[in-house]
Parts: sequence; structure tokens; C-alpha cells
Amino acid sequence: MNCSSELENKIVKTGLCTSCGACQGLCPYWLSHRGKTIQMFSCDREEGRCYAFCPRTKTDLAKLREEFFPDADYIPEIGPFYGLYMTRAADADIRAKSQHGGTTTALVELAMRKGLIDAAILTDAKGGVNPKGVLVKKPQDVRKYSGSSFQIPPVLATLNKALEENRYKKIGVVGTPCKTLAVYKMKSRPFPDNDGNAGNIGMVFGLFCGWGLDWEGLEKLVQRHAAGKQLEHMDILPSKFHQMVLKTSKKQMEVPLEEIYPIVKGSCNYCVDMTAEFSDISVGGARSSEGWDVDQGWNQVIVRTEKGVKLIDLARKEGILEFKAVAESNLEKIKQASLNKKKTGLKNLRKLSGSKNNLIYLNPDEPGIEKACVDMA
Amino acid sequence: MSKLLSPANNEVLFMGNEAIARGALEAGVNVAAGYPGTPSSEIIETLATVVKERNLYVEWSTNEKVSLEVAAAASFAGLRSLCVMKQNGVNVASDFLLHLTASGTRGGMVLVTCEDPGALSSVNEGESRYFARMLEIPLLEPANFQEAKDLTKWAFELSEKIRNVVILRSVTRMSHASGNVICGKLPTKSRKALFEYKGSIMDQLRGPVISTPVVIKHALQQEKLKKAVALFENSPFNTYSGPAKPELLLITSSACFLYSQEAISMLNLQKRVGILKLGCTWPPPPQLLKKHLKSTGKVLIVEEILPFLEENVKALAAGMAEDIGIKKYYGKMDGTLPAVGELNPDLVAEGLGKILKVKYKSQPPGYVKEMEKIIPMIPKREQTFCPGCPHRASFWNMHNALQLDGREGFVCGDIGCYALAALYPSCGFDTVRTLHSMGSGTGIASGFAKLGQFGFEKPVIAVCGDSTFYHAAIPALINAQHNRADITFIVLDNSGTAMTGFQPHPGLTVGAAGESVPAIDIAGICEAIGAKVAISDPFDLEKTCGLLTDFLAEEGCVKVLILRQKCALSPEKKGKKQFLMKVDEERCRGEECGCNRLCTRIFRCPALVWDRIKKKAVIDDVICAGCGVCYSICPQKAIIRTEAKQK
Repeated sequence: MNCSSELENKIVKTGLCTSCGACQGLCPYWLSHRGKTIQMFSCDREEGRCYAFCPRTKTDLAKLREEFFPDADYIPEIGPFYGLYMTRAADADIRAKSQHGGTTTALVELAMRKGLIDAAILTDAKGGVNPKGVLVKKPQDVRKYSGSSFQIPPVLATLNKALEENRYKKIGVVGTPCKTLAVYKMKSRPFPDNDGNAGNIGMVFGLFCGWGLDWEGLEKLVQRHAAGKQLEHMDILPSKFHQMVLKTSKKQMEVPLEEIYPIVKGSCNYCVDMTAEFSDISVGGARSSEGWDVDQGWNQVIVRTEKGVKLIDLARKEGILEFKAVAESNLEKIKQASLNKKKTGLKNLRKLSGSKNNLIYLNPDEPGIEKACVDMA
Repeated sequence: MSKLLSPANNEVLFMGNEAIARGALEAGVNVAAGYPGTPSSEIIETLATVVKERNLYVEWSTNEKVSLEVAAAASFAGLRSLCVMKQNGVNVASDFLLHLTASGTRGGMVLVTCEDPGALSSVNEGESRYFARMLEIPLLEPANFQEAKDLTKWAFELSEKIRNVVILRSVTRMSHASGNVICGKLPTKSRKALFEYKGSIMDQLRGPVISTPVVIKHALQQEKLKKAVALFENSPFNTYSGPAKPELLLITSSACFLYSQEAISMLNLQKRVGILKLGCTWPPPPQLLKKHLKSTGKVLIVEEILPFLEENVKALAAGMAEDIGIKKYYGKMDGTLPAVGELNPDLVAEGLGKILKVKYKSQPPGYVKEMEKIIPMIPKREQTFCPGCPHRASFWNMHNALQLDGREGFVCGDIGCYALAALYPSCGFDTVRTLHSMGSGTGIASGFAKLGQFGFEKPVIAVCGDSTFYHAAIPALINAQHNRADITFIVLDNSGTAMTGFQPHPGLTVGAAGESVPAIDIAGICEAIGAKVAISDPFDLEKTCGLLTDFLAEEGCVKVLILRQKCALSPEKKGKKQFLMKVDEERCRGEECGCNRLCTRIFRCPALVWDRIKKKAVIDDVICAGCGVCYSICPQKAIIRTEAKQK
């Protein structure tokens, strides 16, 4: 049965739950507390939106792609594809507060100003601890929420509530791959008579993601390294630096990755999507052959839909983003990185299911998965 | 004038408990103390209404042990005193009772225990007659309403004859049923309190009242008991009716006497069965028993709860076997009568039928079939919290906080209306995992919280009511604080001893007889113990759940949350609605995804009804108490509340 108790038993209890919040804000039965998804009471319905929207319940990804990305090229490692860009926000104020180049903030702000979206679901990262979802209604407010969060707040609960309210008709959503997949599952309207106004979802902005951190684990880590300090920002540097940095307005603290690995959120081990394949446009930190010194102020952007193309063209035309040439090797690099994540995810899913062919929520025939399987064999 | 003060020779309809109170008044009782507990509470309540007229001191004590001590002091001062409790209260009082029986008493002192066969209003089927045997004091059991009065009066006389406390035992059907009673005289003089203590340690009337020298006083106590037995041999409260040589001798006491009489008459066995009804059941009078046991070969003992009388009769019979010969015994032990639960005339008749080969079926042919037809037509009534009950909201908050906490924490329940919380799904929301005696939830929680070194990691909540807090929870709370047991302790403060009928307790400013008394502040006590204390209104779901969630997460100290909201049936609230409630049918989602009947399926206030035809929730206005809590739980805001105009 595609129901609440199934979600509790097969997803939450097994450690697959990403805490995205897709099951929340719909009913009184699902809530989130300190990063944990909680079934408050049993629900005896035989099917529910909670189960249907969850990014970790079985999904026919090919069908979902056909519905929402009919004309895009498809690259098995990184999903629907119109183009790859290197960009950063032209506005230095945005860049100053961003994790990388501030591209997402600039794009969301632009989309709202131009009426492509009329509100946006963002994450209030609060310097990295106790983040939460916010519904932003004015373009000038978007930049207040730039910067990343490593705890994973149930942002989609905020989306569900905003959709239910039915006040905004083109809501933009920014989220990690698990969240954007859930948003596309909502958009596919599994219950046409009770679709929670899914038609009000405007654009989807994906964020590249390696993994998130366990809520309590990060809280304890921050207590260890920056007790009592107001953090403004946190970042995980490229692998060769082997560290996470916590920043206050005055100070930067480096934390070796050995302390980070144990607090990686368990469910992230089962993720096979690095680039938010289900989104109109997805943005991540630049990783080029030019090296970190050059890359760190830039983003790379994958455009996946016509809407995404329209927005990035607009950003170029309006001078919102600065662009630089994308080296040919970049696409290969990102494909390889993405494939590596798929392989790790598959390995862990096989371990969890105890069978080579049982990938739990994934279909082994899915081209990206197939490719990773072949590569692993 | 209270009917309790009716003139002598008047025939008055008394409830059993009123008859006991009247008996105490006829005995010239001066002091009465007790702790509320069904089915005993009306005795103290009734006496409290005549304190002025009869110059009585009546109090609701903090617990049963204290009430026995208060009553004992009156006896030591030469006054007559009554102490009242329900069966398990005797357990609470028993440590003092042991020592009291050893020191002996002066003024007549009677301990009334009202017991609850079948646990109609209890979470135990406790039996306190064994205390009489174990502690070597007399036990009396009235078998009708007249006797309830007369035997109570005589109990005081007996107590003064033997200078020891006497137990009078009633049961629910004796205490709570009513019958005609012919009143006796009320004394015109009241005693003066005089406590003499300057005599020798062996002088029971003038020396210090202590239980030492133990062995010598123990022997003295046994002498007193022998004196009681001698009085029992000829007591008019032990009666026999039936043929001189009955085919079957039925020995019984208390309400079972009435059941037995009815059963014999239903089966027309008057000529075959004789009834020996004992009003004096411990120690059983041996000569009287010998006489009747000799008269027959078959003996049936009819009694409720444990086979106390049966054991005692058999033990006596074994000692006199040479004289009385071999008998066949029937009763609880051989299964002729049920070993547990309440008896009734049908059950006794079935037992008689088995022994005497008389065909008796308590149910006519086709009864079960007819019942099966009718049962589905009876509206379902869950045993649950009342509409507007603060406990429903309190346990809702506990459930939600425990779920959010996510460590599978649980509640150690306690005794009061909130014991119902153990009944899931009707109420309690599947939170209560232990339920025992008053205050023991806190002690158990204190114990659980110390199991960390053995890998126990769940947070523990203990609950108790305001009255229970004073009764027995304080020592456990001190224990938790002193031993660093990290518990969350919730006081469900509904401003009264609600379950037994709003008797006052130390938290209130009014005493048993309506006098003004100082209230003892729960929060102040908890703070003085060193706990972290917060107070909240359980109807404020957001605040209460938030506080509780924070308390559960906070480690290293005892947290006390006082949830304060008056009982919906309290005199101040009863019949007054704060809010008028209604359901907006447009907004109500009913069974759809998005709600799935949270209000009627999970919250289950009896005033929330599911309209099966409309598939919408409805408020039953007749029983809705207007607390407004369902407004806060509806995710659709489909339950609307408007402030009611106060009359």
C-alpha cells in the first residue's frame, strides 16, 4: 500500500528518509523536528500524498522525464541537458554572502522580478545551524537567504503549505536533488482530485549536492568548535583541502574532514543524484581544471528546460550574471563526479537490500543507473 | 436538618456509607479522618456536613496513613475516632497500623475499609480482610444497611473493650446501595480530650503509647483478641436461619448474605439450605462454627475477592475434626464459585445448583441470541475522558512531545481519572506504559531514569494528579532529584480530587467541612526540592507541547511541568461553556488525504461525532463542554470556536 505506515516502515525507519519535508504540511500526521521526519499518529488511509511525493519511494524516473523534459538532450550521468555554463552574480553584494558565485540568488531574484515566479521557497540557512524553509514574496528579500545550509531542513513542508494557501500561482523552489525530485513528483499530480494546487509550482532551481549532514551531529560539531559564536557561513572545501570551514564575522575555524564523515546524514549514502537532475536549472560550485583559487568565486550551471534557457538568456541580457568560457573538460569532469556518486549510492543500496538487483527505490534499467552498474561491474 | 441527624426510632433510607456515618454518630464519634477513594468517600463527606451540630473534627488527610495517625491521636486522647479509606488505602496505612495494633488504643477507634470486588472503580481487586488476621485485630462485616449502622456503633464499643483498633469492612454494594435503617439515639454529651502519658510503659491508659516491650505487648494484643472472640461467640451480628439439620450449610458475610438469601429463595431451597451469616469474621468464633458445622455434611462458603472466610473455616474445622467429622467444602477454592470478580445472586444460585443438583440457568433460553441481536443497536460508548477534560489535552501534548523527541519515550501512569489514559485508542494516545498505585508512577520513572548504565536511553515522563502529588508523589520526586534521575514530572492539576467527587486536598484553601485552610503550593514544593519548574495550560497546545519537548531534551535535572486547568465537571465549570463550537462543513476534509478524521479517529473527544452520511465531523452540542481544544487540533481550521456569552 502506498500509505503513511509504509512510508514510516519502509522509508523513515530504514534510514532512507532525506528529511526533505515533501510528506509534511499536507496533513497532521507528518512533522519534522530537529531534522527528523516524524509520524505523529498512524493514518489508516490506503494511499496518500506523503507516500506519493516522497523522493525515496519507487518512481518511474523515465516517465517523469518524458513528461517534464520532453525536448532536452539526456546525458545519463547528469540528466536532462540544454547547456553547461560558468557564471557568477554580477552584483558583488550577492557574491559576498554566497557560498560560491551567488548565481542561484541572482537567478531567483531575476525570475521573481521578471514575473517568471511570484514567490520562492528558499532556505533560511541562519549561518548553518537550525535552518528552516521560508516563503519569500518580494524579490528584494531573496538575497537575505543566500548561503548554504548543511543540515537538511524540511523546506518542502513550507512549499506544501504555500501551495495549499493557493495565494501564489507561480512558486519557485530552490532545493537539493532529493527535494527537486519530490517537487517533480508533486508536479506529476498523482492524485488529480487532490493535487494540493501543484499547478502553482513555478520554476525549480536545483542545487548540486554531495551530501548533507546529520542535524544533531552538526549541532554538536559547532558546539565543539564554535560554542556560543554566531556563525555566518559554513563551507566544505574541495577534497584536496580536506576540511570544513565555519566562519563568524571575525574568525574562521577549520574542521578536518575526519570529524565530518561520521556526521554525514545516513540517507545521503543512498542518493544517486549529484546535480539535481529534476529541475529547470541547477547550480553548483565550480570545479574546473583552473583550480580552486579561480573556481571558488564561480558556479557551474546546468540548464535543463526551455524555462531554464529563457532565464539564463535573460540573466545574460540584463547583465545579472557574468559568464566565462567553459572548458571542454568541465562536462567530462562533472559527468565523472556525478557517476561516482551514483556508484556509491548503488553500492549502499545493494548493501541495504542485500541483493544486487534490488535497488529499493530505483529502477536498474534507468540509463544513469545502468551506466553506473556497468561501470561498477 | 440533615437526615443523618434523624431522631431515634425514625426509619430512614440511608446509603450504606450514610448508615456507617450514622452508626459512628450514635457511638459519639469525635474525630473522623480519611482519604477519598471509591466506594468509601461518602462516609467522611456525610460526617463533614454535621461537624457543627455534633462538634466533630473531620478532615481529608493527605493520605491514608496520615489519616490513621490523625484518628489514632484522638483515640490516645480518649476520644472516639473513625478512619475511612478504600481497600488499597489500608496498604498505605498498614505500616502505622501494624505499630498501632501493637501499642493499642484508648478511645474507641474504628478503621473502615470499603472494598471494590470486581474493581468497578479501582485498578486492583485488593482485599484487606487479611490485615485483620495478619495484624491480630477484630474484623466486622455488616450484611445489610441496618447492620452497617449498628455494627459500626458496636465496633467502637468493642474497640474500647479490648483497647485496640477494630476494622469494619464494607463493599461497593453495601456502601453504595441504600436501604431502610431504624435510627438509634444520638449521645448528648461530647467527650473531652485528655492524653495521659506519665504512667508506666505497661499502663495502656496512662503511660506513653508505644509498641515496646514488643514481645510482652504482642502477647497482650493476643489476649485482647481472645476477648473479642469470646464476645463474637454470642454476638447478635452472627445469625443462623434455616433447618436445624440442613443438607448444606452456607456460610457468608457482607453483601454476599443478600445474594445468598436471594439465590436460596430463587431456587426454593429454604428447607435444604441453612445460612450462617457472620458479622464478626475475624477471628471466627469457634464454638458457634462447631455447632453449625456439626449439623451438616456439606458446607458452601460465599464471599467476594479472596477465600478468606473459607480458609479460616477450614482451618478451624481441621482443629475440631474429631468433634465435627469430615465435611465436603465448596466455595472459591474448588471452583464452585468464581475465584475473582463480583458475585451476584445468579452466580450464587449457579453454585448452589451445582452442589444440590438443582437445574438453574441464570439466563433463559435464547438469551444469548437475543443479546447478540441487540448489542449492535446499542450506541458505542468508550470508557474515556469526558468532553472538555484537561487530561485529554495533557496526554495529547505528552504524545506529541514524545513523538517529536523521537527516542520512544513513555509515560509512567498513576492513579486518578488520568489512569484512563492507559486505555488506547479511546484516550491516552498510546503513551502510558506503566500504571500501579498512587504516586508510584514517579518512583518507577525515577528508577527507569537510572538505567542509563545498562543501555536504557528513553526519556521518561511521570504523571500524577494534584491530590496524588501530596498523597504519595513527593517522596518519589525527592528521590528522583536526590539521585539525579533525569525525569520529566507532570502534575495534572485540575484543582480537586476529581475522580472521587472533588474532595478538597492540601492544594486548596478549603477543608473537608468548608473551613478556610492554607493551600500548599505545588510549584513552590517542587522548586524547593530543586527541580526546574514550569506551569502551563494544557489547552494551550503550542506552548505546552513546546515546553514539554524542551524539557524532554534537557538532560541532567528533574523537570516539573504543572498543567493547570480545572476539571470540566468541577462546580466552577460544570454546565458553563467557554466556547461554542461548530464544524465548517466546507472546510472539513473528513476521510480525505490531508486529515483522515484526526478529530474523531485520533483525538476522539466524545463530543466530536463522525457523520457517516455527510462524511464530515459534527459537534454534539449536548455534551460538548466548550473547552475549544479541538479548534487547535483541526489542521483545516474547520472547527470554529466563538466565545460563549457567560450567564
